[in-house]
Formats: sequence, C-alpha cells, structure tokens
Amino acid sequence: MKKIFIVEDDFTIQAQLKTLLSGNGYEVFAVTDFSQTIQQIKTFVPHLVILDIKLPGNNGFEICSEIRTFSDIPIVFVTSSNTDMDELNSIMLGGDAFITKPYNTAILLAKIAALLKRAYPSPQEEFFTWNGATLYPASSVIEYNGQKAELTKNELKILYYLFKNAGKICPRNDIVDFLWDNQLYVDDNALSVNVARIRDKLNKIGLTDFVKTKHRQGYTL
Amino acid sequence: MSGKLYLKNQIPAILVNLMGMLALALFLFANGNQFQTVLFIFTVWFIILATYLSVVYYVRKRYLNQLLDMTEQLEERYLIPEIMTIPGKADEQVFYQIMKMAEKSMLEKIGAIQNERKEYKEYIEQWIHEVKTPITAIKLLCENNRSPFARGILAELEHINQYTEQALYYARSEHTEKDYSVRETNLCDVVHRAVADNKYLLRQSNMTITIDDIENRVYTDDKWVRFILNQIIGNAIKYRIEQPVLHFSAIKTNDRVVLSVSDNGIGIPKSDLPRIFEKGFTGTNGRIGKNSTGMGLYLCKRLCDKLGIGLTAHSENKGTTIALSFQMNDFVIRVQG
Repeated sequence: MKKIFIVEDDFTIQAQLKTLLSGNGYEVFAVTDFSQTIQQIKTFVPHLVILDIKLPGNNGFEICSEIRTFSDIPIVFVTSSNTDMDELNSIMLGGDAFITKPYNTAILLAKIAALLKRAYPSPQEEFFTWNGATLYPASSVIEYNGQKAELTKNELKILYYLFKNAGKICPRNDIVDFLWDNQLYVDDNALSVNVARIRDKLNKIGLTDFVKTKHRQGYTL
Repeated sequence: MSGKLYLKNQIPAILVNLMGMLALALFLFANGNQFQTVLFIFTVWFIILATYLSVVYYVRKRYLNQLLDMTEQLEERYLIPEIMTIPGKADEQVFYQIMKMAEKSMLEKIGAIQNERKEYKEYIEQWIHEVKTPITAIKLLCENNRSPFARGILAELEHINQYTEQALYYARSEHTEKDYSVRETNLCDVVHRAVADNKYLLRQSNMTITIDDIENRVYTDDKWVRFILNQIIGNAIKYRIEQPVLHFSAIKTNDRVVLSVSDNGIGIPKSDLPRIFEKGFTGTNGRIGKNSTGMGLYLCKRLCDKLGIGLTAHSENKGTTIALSFQMNDFVIRVQG
C-alpha cells in the first residue's frame, strides 16, 4: 500500500483528504505539528507528499526544498493561489505537480496515481479479479475461463468502476460521475445502452448474470 | 486670447489717455495754439498708443498660444507647471504659484487613489484565495458523502466558484501588468478541464456534450482560456432549452486554430449581437429573468484582447456559436519545426 503524507493547515480539508485518499487505497498520514513537519515526514517515509503553500511556520516552498535535500519522492503542491509566480516557484524547487483549489478530486487522484506510477514502476500489468473474471484495464480486455472479450473505452471504464467497487451497489449517478471524470460524457440512457452491450459481450464468453441490476439503486457485480 | 476682450481690458488705460488728451487740448487752446498743431500732436499720440497696444497684444497672444499648444500636447495636462517657463510678471507669478499648488494637491490625490486601488486589488485577490479554502472543504465533504443533496450543493458550488473567478479576473484585468504566461497548451486538455469544472451543473441540466477531435497545440495561457471557456459553458447552461447540446470543435488553417463552442440554446437576437461584449450589457434575453450580470462576456473579450485571441459570436435565432481564434504565426510554426 502506497503511503501519502498530507501537509495542510485547514483541518476540514485535511480530514476529508484523508477520507478520500484512504477510500482510494492509500495509507494516509497528516501533519500534526507544523514545527515538526520534516521530522514527521522522515519518520513516516511516505511515497508521496501533498503540500499546501500557505502554512503556519515554514511555508510550502521552504518545506519542499528541505525535503529535496534528503529525498526524491513526488511532491504535489495544492494551493488556492494560482499566480504564475507560485507555479514557477513550485517547479523550480522540485515540485512534481501544481494543483489549484478548489481541486477536482478526480484530477487530483489521477495526478497522484500517475506520479506514483512514474516514481515506483511496477513490472506487471494491473488487473482485477472477481468471481473468476479478470479485468485488464491497460489492454482493455476481460477474461473468463480462458476466453477473452475486447472492450470499448466506455465499457472498460464502467467495468473498471464496478470491479473497483466489487460487491457494493454502485448507484447509476456515481458511475456516470466516474465516466465524466474520465472525459467520457455519457448520460443516463447511454449508460443503460453500454451496460446492455457489456452483458452481451460477457454472455458470449460464458459469463452470465455477472453485472446485476439493483432496481432503483444501480448496478453491482 | 480674444482681441475684443483684450481691448475691453485696456479701457482704463485708453480712458486715462483720452483724459490726458482732453487736458492737453484745453491747455494748448488756452495758450493760443492753432487747431492744426493740436490735431498733429493728437495724431502722433494716437499712433503711438495704438502701436503700443497692438504690439503688446501680439506678443502676449504668441506667448499664450504657445503655452496653450504645449498644454494640449501634454498627456497629463495637470503637469504643465513642471515644463512651462516661470513667468516674469508679478500677477502671472501669482497665477503660476496657484497652478503649482493645484498640481501638487492633484498629484497627492492621484497617488492616494492609486494606492487605495492597489490595496483593494490585493485585498480582493487575497479574499478570493481565502474563500477558496472553504469552497474546497465543502467540495471534498460533498464528494466524500455523495447523495442527491450533495450533488445539488456541488452544482451550486460550481456557481460560486465561477463568480469568485470572475471577480479575480476582473481585479487582474484592471491592471496593466502582465500576469499571464504563454505556453504551449493542448486545447483538448483545457476543454476537458473546463467541462470538469462545470461537471455537476452540466449533469444537472442534462447537457449532452460532444467534443470533436481537437488535439491542437496552441500558444496561450491555459488558465485564462479555461476561465473564458468556463464563462461560455456557464452561458450555455444558463440559456439552455429542452435537451441541451454543447459541441466543441476546432479547425486548423495556415496561421490559426479556431475553437468553436456551439450550443442549441435560446440564442442571441441579431440586434443584441454587436453589443454582447460590452460591460454591463444584459441584452433582451438577459433581462427576462436570467439574472445576467453583463460581466462574463465582457471579461472574456478583455482577456482575449490581452492574449491576442480573436473572439466572435454567431447566432441565428436559435443556438449560439462562440469562436476563439488562436494565432499561429510563422515564428511559432518555424520553431516547432
């Protein structure tokens, strides 16, 4: 499990970021004492740091250059100021990404995932398994009993979301939200059409009744 | 300097001369002088007086005209005491002193106002940065606790964000200093980011979004373009009809890339079209209960002018197309290879 360290002085944001990131499979630790930020980072040894710029005591830039003296971990700046100077500064001091508040959580998560992937490349392809079926997101294929089915972009993202939340009921609205976050602007009707197509494809490889409809609630695996 | 008024001003001097002439005439006649002699003396007197008055008139007129020209050529006219030569006459010097005093108080006032404006701008910018913290917190809270209720709040939050951005860019556009940086930007990314900024509003209004292949690279400031697109998307949502559609497309020609944003909304009446980029113009549609501020498109135009983007609107009864035209000059193309 990848570890993320949050340096953020607004406690609501800090707590919600923790919820968001732990919900997405990260181990999260937030700074508790701003005079001890560097020590806390050294003891927690995170894979990535999320850093605000305006902080009590040392500001984000100072903390960033201090981290760079002992570590090359990815640093994501999050700030409410969006001046060019701040962006330039953050890059000059060794920051890896600059995201302005109010940030889009999907974009933040995508940035974090991309940075982690680049910094800690894993040799094998990521895959998900549920009830004997395996989804390979990178090659856009689903496999069951040795039989494979190719998926379109929309179908892949829908299945990806269902696999990630396997066992849980996924409300239609949340699935559409997820698709929008992935730049696929489908509406509710198109979702039904896509799910019907997925079921067709799954039937062909012998996987029947894999995606279930929960009336008035959504879909589930 | 008007000649008539000058003559009027000289009336006391002329009267004194006339009285002198009268007294001299009485004296000369009393001493038994001939009429011719008296007439001769008066003619000479008159010529000398007239010459004196006209020479003084022309000299003064030339000097004053020069001063007037100089003032007219000045950009900041209140600075005239700084460049004019100090006059020699006693009363003129008093006026000069008055002008100097007026100039000084003017400069002080301008300085104070400039300072005030700068402080106000800084305060607005700081305020906007601060208000973004609670906006972010609310957004995270809602996204971590999804429900129809949270979705409603998220949509309103996008409105709030749009209005705060408007205030921020207004404060920035008022100032002449350059606070943008032109970089190679992928149009596709900017469009997707702008759509993401309005996700909940677009979803709430059931907008169908289609994005053509717009993998075009342009040279511009992505933040500013994102703001401009946000305003355009906001308008498309505000003036939508049943089954709204928003379409993004791009055309590349030799020297420019044109990004078009088309909607199928209520459109803009022909009579309003030429004025939509004016500050505070709300138009016929804006006034029918859509609480238009007349700021969005005005700001878009201003920012586009600064960035050198051509901004045009097109509307035929129904639907509106806003086109952003990015210049790709020879230099950029050559550097790109």
